[in-house]
Amino acid sequence: MGDGLRATAWKLLLGYLPPSRDLWEKELIENRLKYAKLKEELLVSPSQLTRKKVGALSYCDHPADGVVAGPLKRHEISEEDHPLSLGKASVWHQYFQHTETAEQIDRDLQRTHPDLKFFSGDSSFSRKHRESMRSILLLFAKLNPVIRYVQGMNEVLAPIYYVFSTDTNEQNAANAEADSFSCFVRLLSDSVDHFCEQLDNSAVGILSTLSRLSELLKANDEELWRHLEFTTKVKPQYYAFRWITLLLTQEFNFQCIMRIWDSLLSSPYETLQDMLLKICCAMLLCLKSRLLSGDFVANLKLLQNYPDINIEHLLQVARDLSSDPSTYRLSLTL
Amino acid sequence: MEEEVGGEEYLFKVVLIGDSAVGKSNLLSRFARNEFDPNNKATIGVEFLTQELEIDGKMVKAQIWDTAGQERFRAVTSAYYRGAVGALIVYDISRKTTFESVKRWLDELTTHCETTVARMLVGNKCDLEDIRDVSVEDGKSLAEEEGLFFMETSALNATNVQTAFEMVIREIYSNVSRKVLNSDSYKAELSVNRVNLVKNGADSRKSRMNLSCCAG
Repeated sequence: MGDGLRATAWKLLLGYLPPSRDLWEKELIENRLKYAKLKEELLVSPSQLTRKKVGALSYCDHPADGVVAGPLKRHEISEEDHPLSLGKASVWHQYFQHTETAEQIDRDLQRTHPDLKFFSGDSSFSRKHRESMRSILLLFAKLNPVIRYVQGMNEVLAPIYYVFSTDTNEQNAANAEADSFSCFVRLLSDSVDHFCEQLDNSAVGILSTLSRLSELLKANDEELWRHLEFTTKVKPQYYAFRWITLLLTQEFNFQCIMRIWDSLLSSPYETLQDMLLKICCAMLLCLKSRLLSGDFVANLKLLQNYPDINIEHLLQVARDLSSDPSTYRLSLTL
Repeated sequence: MEEEVGGEEYLFKVVLIGDSAVGKSNLLSRFARNEFDPNNKATIGVEFLTQELEIDGKMVKAQIWDTAGQERFRAVTSAYYRGAVGALIVYDISRKTTFESVKRWLDELTTHCETTVARMLVGNKCDLEDIRDVSVEDGKSLAEEEGLFFMETSALNATNVQTAFEMVIREIYSNVSRKVLNSDSYKAELSVNRVNLVKNGADSRKSRMNLSCCAG
């Protein structure tokens, strides 16, 4: 799929672009403006903010002749907002927390697809890409204070940002940051619970999703399921935690990731999560004979370093699977 | 303990813990494969490697679990601590905050695996002398306070990496063989599980010697 086409398709599939083409331009302009405003409001440091407020005032306050008499004017800062204030609501407290998050994001962006020049290295374009991704992740962290930034979000953002900024339409490519932000939020809305520690043990948390994978495997291949879970005790937590939270972005090369995402985003009759679980299950089935002859160590090493595979075949196996029995049951009771 | 396989005489589970980006994964790849990747991806969940060593003429297989550093993953990764009999608690000598987290990691370890007997504090990235943020003395004294082995390492230039892992594994081995000498029932248990350790953690903690050994 050409990259311009893929970018548009993903935007449509994620609901960022409305179905009617006539509305696209208006929608895009509005969203990009909204993003710029949000960024300005949330990603500016308190001192810049103070200076800004003062700057805005000085138009009317400044003496016409420009002579400053008496004590120099100082910035008005409430006690609450002093940098040494311990108050949780202090803008500085929030800012320091923000700095910690920013540092974590920077460390992870340095190691996002280190094999691709687009993301890594010292070139001006890779720096620019990291800078944009940093803004997106920081903004997400600020808007979602309970979750903030979790390692791995960088990996989930990378394919979106890559596809949008290599769009053949120059205007779209130039606005990749704004568009990626909205699509990243939309994409995570379906799986953000996996990033949330408080939900680990809930029905929507990662542990529950992992057991759904186990159920799905059992329903489709009880022999393999038994061998993994009981004979070799290779539990889904050991290998599929990363598969699921990162939407498979660390398991395959970049071209394959994008191909897999085409399927994840476009499965017509099920949610992204259901399709993801099917692909994970297919990944196990495709290695069945090796897994059946492997012990704990061999199987875990194999699954943590998934081998090269024909992606079209993998996706076909995934599509042919019967559905996750637990979702099926759920839909019957509704 | 439940996942032993193969015909080795001993199989020990060791965990690598510490804040994110302190170099855990590179310590492991240096130890197991003699490799260093300056652009290692962040570890999500756990990764796993094995390495064989010969101690006193016996084959010892170490199963080393490398964990994600970010706080969010603790609830999930702590499940992997089960059955661990050794731990390397890693910080980055050029980032003080990672050293300040060591106590929290120790608490974490105590909570989730009371049987862990061999623990080593590792100050990694000791090649970054120019931007050192934690002194060797601070590392040593924390290790003494907590009853840990201590070593500064560099996964980048391989300083002390082999030694650090070996020391932990030898300590586990000596704990196990001491126990074997003392208890027939323990011996029986050991032959079943092969990864087994001192049940009475406090006991062994008292008898353990502190060993400090630093680069630079």
